[in-house]
Amino acid sequence: MANKNAGYGIIRDLDLKSPGVRSGYRLVFAICVVALLVGIAPMVWVVVSGFKTIKEFVISVNVIPESFDISKYTGTWISLKFAKYYRNSLVSVIGSVGCAVIFNGLLGYALSKVKPSGWRIVYALVMAGLLIPATTSIVPLFINITRVHLNGSFVPLWLSIGANAFYVVLFKTFFDSLPNSLVEAAKIDGCTDFRVFRSIALPLSRSIMMVVAIYAINAAWSDFLLPYLVLNQSGLETVMVRLFQFRNGKTSDIDILRAIVFVIIPPTVLFLFFQKQITQVTAQSGIKG
Amino acid sequence: MTKRIPFDVRLRKNLPGWLIMLPSLVLFSFFVWEPLLESVRLSLYTAEGMRLVQFVGFQNYLDVFQHPDFWPAIRNTFYYTLWSLAIGFLVPIVLAILINEIRRGRSFFKVGIYLPNIVPGMAMVLMWGFIFKPSNAGILNVMLSALGIHAQPWLTDPHLTIPLIVATLTWQGAGATALLYIAGLQGIDPELYDAAIMDGAGIWKRVRYITVPNIYNLARTLLILQIISVFQILYQPLVMTNGGPNNASISIMQLVFRYAFQNYDYPKAGAVSVIISLILIALTAAYNKLNKEKDM
Repeated sequence: MANKNAGYGIIRDLDLKSPGVRSGYRLVFAICVVALLVGIAPMVWVVVSGFKTIKEFVISVNVIPESFDISKYTGTWISLKFAKYYRNSLVSVIGSVGCAVIFNGLLGYALSKVKPSGWRIVYALVMAGLLIPATTSIVPLFINITRVHLNGSFVPLWLSIGANAFYVVLFKTFFDSLPNSLVEAAKIDGCTDFRVFRSIALPLSRSIMMVVAIYAINAAWSDFLLPYLVLNQSGLETVMVRLFQFRNGKTSDIDILRAIVFVIIPPTVLFLFFQKQITQVTAQSGIKG
Repeated sequence: MTKRIPFDVRLRKNLPGWLIMLPSLVLFSFFVWEPLLESVRLSLYTAEGMRLVQFVGFQNYLDVFQHPDFWPAIRNTFYYTLWSLAIGFLVPIVLAILINEIRRGRSFFKVGIYLPNIVPGMAMVLMWGFIFKPSNAGILNVMLSALGIHAQPWLTDPHLTIPLIVATLTWQGAGATALLYIAGLQGIDPELYDAAIMDGAGIWKRVRYITVPNIYNLARTLLILQIISVFQILYQPLVMTNGGPNNASISIMQLVFRYAFQNYDYPKAGAVSVIISLILIALTAAYNKLNKEKDM
């Protein structure tokens, strides 16, 4: 499939007439293929190695296992009780997506379209939260959560993603792109701010809600530090907290390897379905997710 | 100044907006703003568990400075940052320029290089731990022995630990960052290149005088974001090396983690957090100042 932008890089069609440039282009292509392989190879290696037996994994120098027997994976799944950790992570993800969309969306909308007096101060504070590293305040945050007795529950994880400066900025930028005349016209017709939000802004913002939802799914699935502090030893551990517990050394290497595969599968599937949205937003936002 | 508008009119005009914002503002206060301020207050007190006991001024800071792990952690964190600038900063730029030249299947490459970025941090750290296994079981050593090279100690070699950890960070982040640069490259007006060709500019001159200046600002922004993010490195030293060998990879965030969640000494953890924030603010400010002078 020819790309419509072909020939609009630095090397032009005209340049390719020179044999030197042509072999240079082949070199560029080769380097890109190598980069792609370096990116994917470690993941392929983990998946393939998961099919080895413990003995094979420790002794054999072959990369390819003797057999591709899926029961080795299912065995690990059952013995490590991964269904439970998947379920915990799922609960955490669902609540997080809801909070991420609702709370950041409302704030982004208010900062873009309602603009009550004082909104600039709020916006500046939100942006400050974007620049000052959040991890440095993890200790007082943990103390806050303990003081309101929300330890051992998913609630702080859900709500914490409802205060995400990056998502607020995404929403605000989106609502800024909607013409003000839409809102003003509705207000002249006597709509209240809430009505405008529900009947005009909400239906138009499906695409951005989708994008934030995808981001929030990945963020909630991958998050470790806060889930570890809040959920460790509570029976509600998410998959990431479980991965960290492998450090204690009671699990065999090959089981850990398979567990890594379990953890990578959901985001990979999500990415393959929504690669366009994910890569585009990454490119627009200037901040990686 | 605007004329005074009666209070109830202003209230009616602004109340709906504030009500819409209220729930989010409560969350931001609880999860972001209050903890930031609280870590300063926390660092000035002694505490029993989570209860603040007595104001002690800067005593916690002095104690932290005396801790045998503090200076190694500070030094290592700067090493992480420098290595990530040496390895991690240029790779995505070069990758983006190369991929942007690809004429067929460019979107395939774009999707492919992004893939490592979706691996969750904790899984990525464990995975590379296996790859770098120092014995003959590590896949890298298996590959080396196939080439007839001795097994390497990898992460257990104190000189290699930090560069290798930075290499894994680059493995994960380079593709996603390259996409940002590709978007920047596509924003360059093709006519600029046409004009350069008319003037007889070869390929290297086009890169030097058109491509690089056009992504310069983007690179500047990403540079500071990269510094801020690498400065907070935690998972890699925590899981891959536990700060070792012999403190060769302990990071400053890991010190916060140890103080807070292994020793339960929250005020000292707060003190280290404040120090990190101050260093980052200073770095950002110095960086902005340098840039401003350059622009003039």
